[in-house]
Amino acid sequence: MVRDRRRFLRAAGAAGFAAMAGCVGGFGEGGGETDASVGMVYATGGLGDDSFNDMAQQGVLQADEEFNISYDEAEPDSVGEFDGAQREFAASGDYDLVSCIGFAQEDALRGNAEEYPDQDFIIVDAGVETDNVRSYNFDEPAGSFLVGHLSGLLTDTEFAAGDSETNPDESVVGFVGGEESPLIESFQAGFEAGVEHANPDAEVLSSYVGDFNDTASGQETARSMYESGADIVFHAAGRTGVGVFQAAESENRFAIGVDDDQSKSQEDYADVILASMVKRVDEAVFSAIESVIDDSFEGGDTEQLGLEDDGIETVYGQSIGDEIPDEIKDEVESSRQEIIDGEIEVPQEL
Amino acid sequence: MREDIERLLERLVHASVLERVVISVAALFAAILVGGVLVFASGGFASCRTGLDLGGATFCYNPMQVYYELFLGSLGHPLEGDWSPMNYSLATTLRQTTLLIFAGLSVAVAFRAGLFNIGTQGQLVVGGLLTAVTVLFAAQYVPGGGVGTALLVPLGVLAGAIGGGFYGAIPGALKAYADANEVITTIMLNFIATGVTATLLSWRFQDPDSANPQTRTVPEYAEIPNVPVVGFSGRMDFSLLALGFAVALMLGIAWLLARTSFGYELRTSGVQPAAAAYGGVDEKRMTVASMTLSGALGGVAGAFWVLMQHGRWLENVPPLGFDGIAVSILAGNNPLGVGAAAFLFGVLSSGSSSINTATDVPPELVGVLSGLVILFVAMPEFFRMIGRRFVDVGDAAPARTTGGEADD
Repeated sequence: MVRDRRRFLRAAGAAGFAAMAGCVGGFGEGGGETDASVGMVYATGGLGDDSFNDMAQQGVLQADEEFNISYDEAEPDSVGEFDGAQREFAASGDYDLVSCIGFAQEDALRGNAEEYPDQDFIIVDAGVETDNVRSYNFDEPAGSFLVGHLSGLLTDTEFAAGDSETNPDESVVGFVGGEESPLIESFQAGFEAGVEHANPDAEVLSSYVGDFNDTASGQETARSMYESGADIVFHAAGRTGVGVFQAAESENRFAIGVDDDQSKSQEDYADVILASMVKRVDEAVFSAIESVIDDSFEGGDTEQLGLEDDGIETVYGQSIGDEIPDEIKDEVESSRQEIIDGEIEVPQEL
Repeated sequence: MREDIERLLERLVHASVLERVVISVAALFAAILVGGVLVFASGGFASCRTGLDLGGATFCYNPMQVYYELFLGSLGHPLEGDWSPMNYSLATTLRQTTLLIFAGLSVAVAFRAGLFNIGTQGQLVVGGLLTAVTVLFAAQYVPGGGVGTALLVPLGVLAGAIGGGFYGAIPGALKAYADANEVITTIMLNFIATGVTATLLSWRFQDPDSANPQTRTVPEYAEIPNVPVVGFSGRMDFSLLALGFAVALMLGIAWLLARTSFGYELRTSGVQPAAAAYGGVDEKRMTVASMTLSGALGGVAGAFWVLMQHGRWLENVPPLGFDGIAVSILAGNNPLGVGAAAFLFGVLSSGSSSINTATDVPPELVGVLSGLVILFVAMPEFFRMIGRRFVDVGDAAPARTTGGEADD
């Protein structure tokens, strides 16, 4: 017994050292230069939200397919960790571009952009006016206005699709936000204005969960809205929004997705998702990487992406979007045109 | 079988200091081995472009790379070229160590008094906010520069200690005078602390220029100063002075517990409350006093989190107080051991972010790895603590009272 144990230990030790001698790099890595190397710092909801962060990742994956790039990702848990994550990439000097996804990274990036003037950064959803940072902003209020308009029209109509239906007697819709911040409040402002544009008497229930990663609370919040008569709930809450879909399913009501076409990314809930307010974060990330490869990266600018260039668009649900009456879709389309033409003024804040 | 276990426990309980260190190191290696297998195996279920092809499956994660990043990444890769000891990764490791020394001491002090303080997190949150608010307020009346630093930093730390101490005294008083279980009350007070501070923030202290829930930034001279020349750069959010203060406080608490009559009363009421009461210790006052001290240490952790790391109070406070519980248990509730345990946690936390950026291993798996290391290293100490209940420890055994009850 004792002899066996010794022999085992000796063998294990030898195997361990042999393995240790092997390279500590990643499997199959190394060899072959890449055109660009990208560091991604995601917002606090993290990957797997099938929404904002995953859209940003789509941009990198697309660039990875079309060009010869390499990328590394960091998923901070809280606002305090952004500074370290950005710095980890910037300090190594190995990255051609560091993408900061989400408005909450603004404060940290202000400091880091100054400390690492040779590092190129982009930030999505905020503006940092430094020569090495390119900012991407989306016209969320306009997009939210359109889905608000859609909800306001539908809540007064007798409408059934999938297992869900509206209650035409009451005109109530809901909005669930993640963290209470000016950006998410601008979603709410646009949504409320859109509902009012469709029906001035309709009631909008609004609530903030306080977290982008709390599906259970999202579900509770949405459920209480549905129970108070809401037919449709729009969310701007990342992973928390999945809870809204769950509630819609169990209450046989409808929901509207955000950032990505969620009837695709959240296929399980496609039968309750009427539409999604798609925000082309992937396009922003992709074009930034492309500009780095082309050597045409320009810092110091803020790029505004809105309805006219399809940076923001309303995408109807894969499975039940077809059942929305055409006259309602036409009305939404015409108000889209009116916003672009400046005939409708969308409020930017509450 | 039973005999074997008893023999093993006895062996553990009677282990010398050197043996305990050897056991801990062996446990660390065992954790690395188990974790490595886990990482390698879960790489088989992940999808990646390039990996190690083995028997028809593709394995994506290299455990060696993961551990290289975890341990050497936390020091800033000392084996690679252009390494400087003042690098950011090492600063992160030591910053976390500093904060966890305070949090760990907070839990350890309560533990030694026989109280389980799960409320360090809440005390840290309250102390941190009070620090930020006090310094922001006082900065209006204090001159800048060195004088400002000399006045504001001690004031901020004091405010944190008072805030945390007061918040720790509440469950202490509830325990002493209403017989409320401190485990329950401290947990509940954590939630109250989070809610109340968030409300206070949005009511009065929110930084109007920022989208993030946070207070305004304290003036630069109110942050913990760096040591000139040998210190880390100011943007690294770490100061050697703070670490020095943490170590000094650690020695101070060790001295307090071992050499003062207060420490003696605290320890005896932890080991044998009835005997302590019989020996003339005012049990109720001791409970309140030790919880206050514990809370004050938690508040100091919050103060340093504000004044060293962020320069402001953020609503999303990381779970330093909860990590403090693990630090304290790992250290066997010994104030001097807290330093080493906090350093291990610092390495794990800084190394984790290094793994996160340098490899494709998902953060959840990195969390599992850190958990394994902590579990394995803490287990022998845990069994030692349990074993002492069953094994006759010989000379070190406390005298047992026979039927003496404290007068209630």
